[in-house]
Amino acid sequence: MAFNYDKYLRVNKMPTLWCWGCGDGVILKATIRAIEKMGWDMDNVCVISGIGCSGRFSSYINCNTIHTTHGRTIAYATGVKLANPGVNVIVVAGDGDSLAIGGNHTIHGCRRNIDLNFILINNFIYGLTNSQISPTTPQGMWCVSAQNGNIDPTFNACNLAIGAGASFVARESMIDPKKLEKILVKGFSHKGFSFIEVNSNCHINLGRKNKMNSAMENLAWIDSITIPVKKWEALSPEEQLNKLPTGVLREVEQAEYCDLYDMVIAAAQGKRGKITQDDFAKKI
Amino acid sequence: MGTFKTENPGNQPVWVNTSNCKACDICVSVCPSGVLGMRYEVTSTLGAMISVEHPEACIGCSECELSCPDFAIYVADKKDYKFAKLTDESKERQAAIIANNYMSLSEQGVK
Repeated sequence: MAFNYDKYLRVNKMPTLWCWGCGDGVILKATIRAIEKMGWDMDNVCVISGIGCSGRFSSYINCNTIHTTHGRTIAYATGVKLANPGVNVIVVAGDGDSLAIGGNHTIHGCRRNIDLNFILINNFIYGLTNSQISPTTPQGMWCVSAQNGNIDPTFNACNLAIGAGASFVARESMIDPKKLEKILVKGFSHKGFSFIEVNSNCHINLGRKNKMNSAMENLAWIDSITIPVKKWEALSPEEQLNKLPTGVLREVEQAEYCDLYDMVIAAAQGKRGKITQDDFAKKI
Repeated sequence: MGTFKTENPGNQPVWVNTSNCKACDICVSVCPSGVLGMRYEVTSTLGAMISVEHPEACIGCSECELSCPDFAIYVADKKDYKFAKLTDESKERQAAIIANNYMSLSEQGVK
């Protein structure tokens, strides 16, 4: 008896609509296994996804799901979490979804440190709409919207999340699903905003146009640009430039938004006085 | 409509669900001991299909199951099946399968 996926998936939607070898399926599987490890009841889990290939995520997983508008995943998830703080909310968004059109929502989710589990599937391209440059497409790669090569500098999504104030920030690639599962379990058990960037492949819309014809070649490229964070710290600044550190990059205890919101509820019900600056250690 | 076949079909270390497989070759590339290989299949989109060629060499690492994006391959639990040890012969076979463009060594021709 292997791992029982039937319990967690909408079986009648299989096989998935994703291309052969797409990393999204591996991440879906790792997420399911992480949920199993956490022992969560699927009736108490809410998966929210946006637009893009990653948006299909909420169609396949068998729990409470919302397939939202482009880039607005965190806005919907904040509403779900505030209305029902007991629910375990998982947000799945692609790099275009959460860094380009939804960049604003992402940074403010991080700033509030609301207890969401945010999985950013970074495949370095707008894959669903056939290869337009996204905020993470490396410079010099060929895409249909940059016919002479891409000149746009890239985002470092994890640095963005750390700067915006997320209390758990991690990066992992889907090459090693066992490590990915462990990182997801760590993120899921963290109270506060868990920002997990997962590097994934798109050998169809990024790879084929950039000399990576198969899933394996694209995965080898991802392997060549990622390095465990401990080793990354030992590199010289010039070498660090072209490597992405993987592993847990930040893990701190920080006031969680739903807990703070309880203060607002208590004040509104007259159970306590008005909230003042004295309630917070950090005043500016 | 695809379904999962998580039940072991009968004392097998590794088994596949060909209605979910899209022939992406990832499972063949991650296997350390040359258990898997692709065979030609005219009805498949990419013209190939996964097959378990050497189940007796499986070491039970579950890499293929975890790396499969389409829930098409399953590995038995370590307590239900006694897996083999990794040998030089199976390592060589794996290298030969990768050199053969992930095709099973019993298949002729180029994909």
